[in-house]
Amino acid sequence: MRPTAATLLPVLLAATALTACGGGSGGDPDTVKVSFKQSTDNSIHVMDDHLADIKRQFEKSHPGKKVELVPIKAPDSEYYTKVQQMLRSPKTAPDLVYEDTFLVNSDITSGYLRPLDAYLAKWPNWDQFIDTAKAAARGEDGKTYGVPDGTDARGLWYDKGVFAKAGIPTPWQPKTWDDILDAARTIKAEVPGVTPLNVYTGKPAGEAATMQGFQMLLYGTGDGTADPLYDAASKKWVTGGDGFEDALRFVHTVYDEKLGPDVATALDPNIQTIVRGDLLPEGKLGIALDGSWLPQDWLPGSGHEWPEWSQKLGLAYMPTQHGQAPGKVSMSGGWTWAIPAKAGNPDLAFEFIKTMQTKANATKWYVANSGIAVRKDVADDPSYADAQPGIEFFTGLVPFTHYRPAYPAYPKVSTAIQEAMEGVTTGDLSVEEAAAGYDETLREVTDDHVVQR
Amino acid sequence: MTRRTLARALPLTPAVVLLLLFLAGPIAYCAYIAFTDLQLTGQAESSFVGLENFRTAFGDEGFRNAVWLTLVFTVVSSLVGQNTLGLALASLMQRASKPVRTLTGGIVITAWVLPEVVAGFLLYAFFRREGTLNAVLDALHLPRQNWLFTLPILAVSFANVWRGTAFSMLVYSAALQEIPREVTEAAQVDGAGGWRRLWHITLPMIRRSIGTNLMLNTLQTLSVFGLIWVMTRGGPGDRSQTLPLFMYEQAFQNSMIGYGTAVALLLLLVGALFSVLYLRLLRTEV
Amino acid sequence: MARTRVTRPASRRVSPRISRRISRRAAADVCLLVVAAAFCLPLAWVVLSSVDPRADLTVKAPDGLTLGNFEAILTADVTFRPLLNSLLLCGGGTALAVVCAVLAAYPLSRFQSRLNRPFLLTILFATGLPITAVMVPVYALFVQVDLIDTPQGTVLFFAASQLPFAIWLMKNFMDGVPKELEEAAWTDGASTWQSLLRIVLPLMGPGVAVVTVFSFVTMWGNFFVPFMLLLTPDRMPASVSINEFFGNRGMVAYGQLAAFSVVYSTPVILLYVLIARRLGGGFALGGAVKG
Repeated sequence: MRPTAATLLPVLLAATALTACGGGSGGDPDTVKVSFKQSTDNSIHVMDDHLADIKRQFEKSHPGKKVELVPIKAPDSEYYTKVQQMLRSPKTAPDLVYEDTFLVNSDITSGYLRPLDAYLAKWPNWDQFIDTAKAAARGEDGKTYGVPDGTDARGLWYDKGVFAKAGIPTPWQPKTWDDILDAARTIKAEVPGVTPLNVYTGKPAGEAATMQGFQMLLYGTGDGTADPLYDAASKKWVTGGDGFEDALRFVHTVYDEKLGPDVATALDPNIQTIVRGDLLPEGKLGIALDGSWLPQDWLPGSGHEWPEWSQKLGLAYMPTQHGQAPGKVSMSGGWTWAIPAKAGNPDLAFEFIKTMQTKANATKWYVANSGIAVRKDVADDPSYADAQPGIEFFTGLVPFTHYRPAYPAYPKVSTAIQEAMEGVTTGDLSVEEAAAGYDETLREVTDDHVVQR
Repeated sequence: MTRRTLARALPLTPAVVLLLLFLAGPIAYCAYIAFTDLQLTGQAESSFVGLENFRTAFGDEGFRNAVWLTLVFTVVSSLVGQNTLGLALASLMQRASKPVRTLTGGIVITAWVLPEVVAGFLLYAFFRREGTLNAVLDALHLPRQNWLFTLPILAVSFANVWRGTAFSMLVYSAALQEIPREVTEAAQVDGAGGWRRLWHITLPMIRRSIGTNLMLNTLQTLSVFGLIWVMTRGGPGDRSQTLPLFMYEQAFQNSMIGYGTAVALLLLLVGALFSVLYLRLLRTEV
Repeated sequence: MARTRVTRPASRRVSPRISRRISRRAAADVCLLVVAAAFCLPLAWVVLSSVDPRADLTVKAPDGLTLGNFEAILTADVTFRPLLNSLLLCGGGTALAVVCAVLAAYPLSRFQSRLNRPFLLTILFATGLPITAVMVPVYALFVQVDLIDTPQGTVLFFAASQLPFAIWLMKNFMDGVPKELEEAAWTDGASTWQSLLRIVLPLMGPGVAVVTVFSFVTMWGNFFVPFMLLLTPDRMPASVSINEFFGNRGMVAYGQLAAFSVVYSTPVILLYVLIARRLGGGFALGGAVKG
C-alpha cells in the first residue's frame, strides 16, 4: 500500500502551521541582513552602488561585523508579497527591510515591524527630519516604525513650446483649477494635434490615477486642515463629500471636453510610459499632472534619453481649487527603512541605519537618486539643490505635501477611487452616481468604518 | 494487496512522493485558507469564517462578471481557437514539404516559448490603435477597430490562441504520427474523401489525444494571467477581467488572501466541470 | 523528401496519384505559409525593437540600427548568470519530471486499477490553482524543511508542479504503443524494466519530446516560483532578471526588453530544434511524407 494523502497531510499541515510561530534570532549575530527593492532603472543601479558603499563604511567602522545585502528584483506588488512572506518567519526575516510608505502601516498592523522610538530618542540626526516625513511611518498606535530615506512630490509639468504656440505666457503658474482648465482649452483651440492636459485616471493606471490624479485634486478642496479621505480622530474613512465630487467633476470635465488624451489611451495600462516616453518628449502634451521623478526616465541609458527636457519643460505647483490657503498642493510617497519584528540583530540594524543617514551619506544618496529630501540639513546643502533641475522646486513643495492615509484598507479604498474616476472618464457614470458608488464600496471594504463630513 | 501489485506500483513511488510532499500539502492548506479571512498584511490575527468567502463571491457582481468572461475566454481561445488551429496545422504539416513544415513549426513554437510578459507586450503592440493589426486592416481596406478598448475579451482571446496553439500542434502531430499509414491509405483506396476520412478515421483514432489536449488546454487557459494583465489589466472597466485577474486583485492588491483563495477554488471547479464534460463527450477510457 | 520531389519531366507519364499528392502538398504549403505569416506579424515587434535605439510600442522601421540594446543586457548580472541558473533549475526540474512521469505512466497505462483515474484527475485539477495562491503555503513549508533558498528545493517543486501534466500526457502517449509488442518481449523473458526501456520508450519518442519541451518551457517562463523560493540574488533565473526592464514607476525600456527576449527565448527554440533533429525530420512529423 503506498502512503496516502490522508496519512501524510496532517504531518505536512502541522509543519506548515509551525512556521508561522516562534520568534527570536536566526543566523549569525555579527551579520546584518539588509533586504531592499533592487532599483530596476536599467543599467543604472543607484541603490546597489550606494548600499555597497555604505556596507564598506559600516564594516570598517564596526570591526568584526558583516553586512549581507539581499536585493529583491521585482515589480512593486510582487516585492510586497515576497517581503511579507519573509517577515513571517524568523528564519528568513532580514534585519533591515526597505518598506514602501504605501504599505508600512499595513505591515505594522500585521505585527511584522518593530517600533523604533527607543532608538530614535537617542539619535540626534532624527531632529533633522521634517515633521510630515516623520509621520510617514507612524502607526495608529503613535509609534514610529521606519526611517524615511526620501520622498517624492507632484506638480504640473508644461511644455513651453506648446504654450508659446497657444499664446500663453510663460513662466506659467495657475492659481485655481479653472486656470488650468482655461489653459487646456486654449491649447485645444490653438494647437491642434496636441493633447492639452493629462490627468491619470481609472484602474489601468492604478495608484498613479489615485495619487497623481485624484488626490492632487481632492487635497486641494476644502480648507486644507483635515485629511479629506480619513478621519484620524475617529479612525474612520470619510465618505465622498463636496470636495470629492468637485474632484471627480474636474476629471469629468477634462475627458468630457476632450482636453485629455482620448479615453481609450487614458485607460491604456501603459499610459505612464506613453506620457513619459512618447507624448512629453515629442512635444505632444501641453500639461502633465505628474511626479517629481520624471527626469529619471530621460537619463542616458534609459531607452528614452531626452537631455533637453530642462529647456523644453516648465514646472508649476498644483493650485488649490479656488486658490484658497495654503494655495499649493502636493502628494508624497517614498520609502522607509524598517526593522522586522523577527529580526535577529535589531540593534546592529539600527547602527546600519545610522551609517546610511549620516549627513554626508544621506546627501550622497539624494543626489545619486534624485530623490526629494526629507531632512533639513540635506535640503540646505548646495550640492543637493544643484544636483538636477527641478529638485529645488519640488523640495519647496515638501512643507505643503500630504502623505496618503496608508492604513490597511487603503489599497481597497484606492481601487474604489479609481473605479469612480473611470466611471466619469468614460461617461458611464455621472459625478453623483460615481460618488455614491464610492460611498457604497467604501462601506463594504472598510467594514462600515466610515464617517460623513 | 499481493506482491505482484506492489511490484507493479513500485515505479509510481517517486512521482507519488513528490506530488504528496510538494503539491498535496500546500494545496490542502490553500483549501483551508479559503475558509478563513486571512490577509497577508493589515491584520493582526486571522480567523475561521466558514462559507463566508463563498457567499461573498456569489453575491459579488465582479465575481459573476469574471466567471462569464472566463467562460467566453476559454471557449473562444482554447476550445475553438487553439484546439482547432492546432489540429489543422498538425494535419497540414503531415502533407507539407519539409522546409515549410520546419519554418511554420519554428514560428508557431517561438510564439509559445516567448516569456509571457513579452508575449503580452508584443500582442498589446499588435492590437493597439496604432498597431500592426489596424495597419493590415487599412491595407486591406477593412474598417479598423480599437480592439483593446471595444473588444478587449476578443483581443486577449486571440492573443491566447497565438501564444498557445503550439502545444495543441505538438500533441496532435505526435498523435497523428501514431496512426498507422496503412489505415489512411486503405481508406484512400476505398475512395473516402478528405472530410470523411477525418471524421470517420482520423478523429476516432486520436480521440484520446483530443481529450487530453482539450483538458490540458482548458486548464492552462483558465489560469492565464500575465498575458491579460499586460495587455489590458482586466480593463477597460472590468471587461476583460477573467477569474485569475479577479483573484489577483482580491488576494494581492487588496491583500485578502482568504477571499482570493476561495475564488481560486471556484476556478478549479470550473476547470473540473469542463474536463468532465470533455471526458464524457469523447468517452475516452483513461 | 528528395524522393518525392523527383518527378519525371514528361508530366503526362506521371501517375495521377503522385500528381494529386504534389498538388495537395502545394496546397498544404500555401496554407501553412499563410498561417506562418499571420503568426509572424506580432513577432516583428520583438525583432525590430531589439535593434532600435528608440524603441516604443509601435511596430516601425527602426530609427537606425544599433546593437546598443544587446550591449546593455549582455552582462553577467542581467543575462549570463541568470540564464545559466535557468538552465540548471529548469533542466533539473524537467529531467526529474520526465523520469518520474515515464515511470509513473507505465503502470498507469499497462495495469488497470480503479484508483488511477480519480488519483490523476484530482491532482490535475488541483494544479489549476493559480500558482500565486499556492506559493503562500509552499513558502512556509520550504522554510520549515530548510529548502528555502536552495536550488534543489526549487528543482523539486518545479518537478512536482509539472508532474500531473507530464504523467497525464505521458500515459496517453504510452497508451498509443500497442501492448502486443511487449507481450512478445515478455514471452522472451524480458522484465518490466527492459520492455519499458527497450520497447516502449523508443516507440514513443515524439511523446517524450512533447512532455520534455512542454515541461521545460513552462518552467523557463515561470517567474513566481523561483522568485519566492530563492533569496540569494546570484541564484535567480532569467525569468526574474527580466524585471530589470520595468522601471520603478511603470516605465518600460522596450528596446532592452526586446533584446533580452530574443536572448532569453533562444535556448528554448534551440531545444526544440535539437529534439526535432534527434527524432528525425521535424519533430514528430518524420515519415509523414514517405513517398
